[in-house]
Amino acid sequence: MAERRPAAGSRGAAGSRGAAGSRLTAGSRAAGAAPVQGPRSDVADQGLAAAGLARIGWAERAMPALGLIRAHFEAEQPFAGLAVAACLHVTAETAGLVNVLRAGGAQVHLAASNPLSTQDDVAAALAACQGATVSARSGADRKTYYEHIHSALDCAPALVIDDGCDLVNTLHAERQELLAGVLGGCESTTTGVARLRRMAAAGTLGFPMVAANASETRRMLDNRYGTGQSAIDGIIRATNTLLAGKVVVVAGFGSAGTGIAERARGLGARVIVTEVDPVRALDAVMQGFHVLPMAAAAPVGEIFITATGSRGVIAAGHLAVMRDGVILANAGHFDVEIDVRGLAGLAVAVHPQVRPHADEYVLADGRRLILLAEGRIVNLVAAEGHPAAVMDLSFAAQALVLAWLARDHAGLPPGVHDVPAAIDAQIASLMLASLGTEIDALTPAQRDYLDSWRYGS
Amino acid sequence: MSGQTLPFKVADLSLAEFGRKEIRLAEHEMPGLMAVREEYGHAQPLRGARITGSLHMTVQTAVLIETLVAIGAQVRWASCNIFSTQDHAAAAIAVGPDGTPEDPRGIPVFAWKGESLAEYWWCTEQALSWPAGDGPNMLLDDGGDATMFVHKGAEYERAGGVPSAAADDADEWRVLLDVLRRSLAASPGKWTAAAGQIRGVTEETTTGVHRLYEMASAGTLRFPAINVNDSVTKSKFDNKYGCRHSLVDGINRATDVLIGGKVAVICGYGDVGKGCAESLRGQGARVIITEIDPICALQAAMDGFQVATLEDVVASADIFVSATGNFNIITAAQMSQMKHQAIVGNIGHFDNEIDMAGLGRLPGIRKISIKPQVDEWVFADGHSVIVLSEGRLLNLGNATGHPSFVMSNSFTNQVIAQVELFTKTEQYPLGVHVLPKYLDEKVARLHLDALGVRLTRLTKEQADYIGVGVDGPYKSDHYRY
Repeated sequence: MAERRPAAGSRGAAGSRGAAGSRLTAGSRAAGAAPVQGPRSDVADQGLAAAGLARIGWAERAMPALGLIRAHFEAEQPFAGLAVAACLHVTAETAGLVNVLRAGGAQVHLAASNPLSTQDDVAAALAACQGATVSARSGADRKTYYEHIHSALDCAPALVIDDGCDLVNTLHAERQELLAGVLGGCESTTTGVARLRRMAAAGTLGFPMVAANASETRRMLDNRYGTGQSAIDGIIRATNTLLAGKVVVVAGFGSAGTGIAERARGLGARVIVTEVDPVRALDAVMQGFHVLPMAAAAPVGEIFITATGSRGVIAAGHLAVMRDGVILANAGHFDVEIDVRGLAGLAVAVHPQVRPHADEYVLADGRRLILLAEGRIVNLVAAEGHPAAVMDLSFAAQALVLAWLARDHAGLPPGVHDVPAAIDAQIASLMLASLGTEIDALTPAQRDYLDSWRYGS
Repeated sequence: MSGQTLPFKVADLSLAEFGRKEIRLAEHEMPGLMAVREEYGHAQPLRGARITGSLHMTVQTAVLIETLVAIGAQVRWASCNIFSTQDHAAAAIAVGPDGTPEDPRGIPVFAWKGESLAEYWWCTEQALSWPAGDGPNMLLDDGGDATMFVHKGAEYERAGGVPSAAADDADEWRVLLDVLRRSLAASPGKWTAAAGQIRGVTEETTTGVHRLYEMASAGTLRFPAINVNDSVTKSKFDNKYGCRHSLVDGINRATDVLIGGKVAVICGYGDVGKGCAESLRGQGARVIITEIDPICALQAAMDGFQVATLEDVVASADIFVSATGNFNIITAAQMSQMKHQAIVGNIGHFDNEIDMAGLGRLPGIRKISIKPQVDEWVFADGHSVIVLSEGRLLNLGNATGHPSFVMSNSFTNQVIAQVELFTKTEQYPLGVHVLPKYLDEKVARLHLDALGVRLTRLTKEQADYIGVGVDGPYKSDHYRY
């Protein structure tokens, strides 16, 4: 299998890319419910399709749970005749989800959820498929990013999949004519779910959305183990720094922050955690991590990793007191956790791309701060995102949730809904089966005991 | 006392049955020693050996003692620490497998938990005093006290008397000089004669080994020594894995504080310190290391520990453990700066790592005994620290020391070293030796089956390729495990 390095974020090549794909025009966004007038693909280079196919095949091998679901969907056709608009990181693993939905009868229209994470070869491969369109180019600017989201929405979706809530937000703000046709959808990220809950609280969310980020299996594998591993992977690839002996500051001790802190410690780093939530902070302390306010951690840390979902976590005041040579990385969804503007304001010089995905900011007294991935999500930009096995679980949940929505949407009011426990259990069983792990089943007597209130000590 | 010997002195013979039960369980966890009994039981290589042992009188040591006896030795024993004796183990050894409390038929053992310093050195002297005024012809030492006793006795016999203690000498030294003074008066020349008969000593621990090398380089060492401590299967296993197990056990039994979330300072990042740091981290403590050696300090940093000076962290940490082998590591002044009810303990061999004498001399200090081996020391300002085992080895004082399996590794080295020194005396000239690597590997090998380890065997070609024998030794002498 010829592995290509991801083209994602290799900005050096951006200017020379020809517009090989058929670029959207504003006119093609005309409102219309008929899928036949829907979106066409916009990708960087259709010629990369063969390489993308190879990469998708590789990823699919590592996604056994999704493979099991695919076989099921092929027979059941849960999405027959339905259009799905998806805003996701355009990676080989995402392509695996798209392929499963297609196998279940869906027409899938995919836009990128992050301009830097798009793998152009994967985008090209998917765009060449029956039943899918792709609007995604790595390094796309903000205007193009939203054009791509509109393009996906042009299909007048029955189901939506979002990653950060930009698609659902755009749908409600600018494409309200499509709202009535949406049965429901799911959101992958904590950040996106938080936005959805605010929409629901304000009474503006027009259809049921399932918080796919919050399932037990998802939080475990995706956030803790997936982000935990890949954020460290991204930092190492971007800097080639030795973690052993370093002081690593992890901002946020949620699922992702916990995973990052554990893995940094496993590599020999001394880890400091910052938190705002006393419960999470106590958990960090009980696990032996040093918990400090960011103001106290800023002058001692050597590598800073934000994983909070909040903004301005590393502010200009923190940046101003940092040591020479510190590395700044964000593993949270949006690029607002590190105050990049504040950093630029402090700097007297910027040396972009001292290594790929590493920009050096020089302060007035000569100290150098290294910002990775422009403050965007480092595991996707500087590495390859989550390992396929983690995305397998995440996407298997979304596939099953979408099938459930397609079948049972009638009973669900608009609002944010949890992943049904039965789907969570089904996912875990699929993962265990793929790992060759067998578990016990309750005996009828045990079930009876657990269900009863009569038994005492 | 000359010529007369007591049969034994222990706390309570009625504990013998309990001790025997624990010995029986420990035998199962000490596969190396049991294999040695099997291998040498017929040949009796230690027949004729009169071994005086000075080593913590625990259940595991009981298995060691009975192993030495099983392969031919006569044995007399004392503990090498005033708190480390397990009275039921001592009773079982005194009674012996075939005796009863009414009719004890075991080994002359002089040890009980909570000896005074005077009693401690009396016990050591008893273990060194064989019937008919004889001395031992082998020593098995832990910390070097038996070795020192014989050497100092012989030295003062030659000098014509025991010097007076200086004003600033530690209490313990003063007591030793008193015991020697009485001994020299009762049996002049006894220790010079004993030193001449002793074929050698096998030394268990870092501290004792350090003393031996000092004596060897000063030209005062009187008989050959085998440094058992530096067998890989001793130092790595006993020091690192043993302390990793028993440090946390000791702190839990003494205080029952939740270790998770606490800040713990380990002084020293040698093998013992490494094991301590790992176990406290495993319990969720944030561990800070102090070191004087840049290599060990760098190791600690690369293992992800903060390395600080004690001054930096003395006021903010919750648990302090000294593991250096040096003295005056935690001073009285530093203890007075600690947080209220900070826990202070030592896992190094001697009780001088923590300045207990200085602590007791602080103006206005009060000691409240919480329970045996756990004391609260209240400073004049009303805040206090909790000191474990009076600054002595807390894993032995507050818990039961290393678990049997770990001790099986060290003690199998001890037995093999005794056999080597006693039967191949001429191969070990005056000086300090380590066991040859093939014997170290043998000790490890004897423990693999019990753990279900399946060892891969080199092919002849593979062995030739890296220049070793198919049956070992597999590493050069300077290899660092």
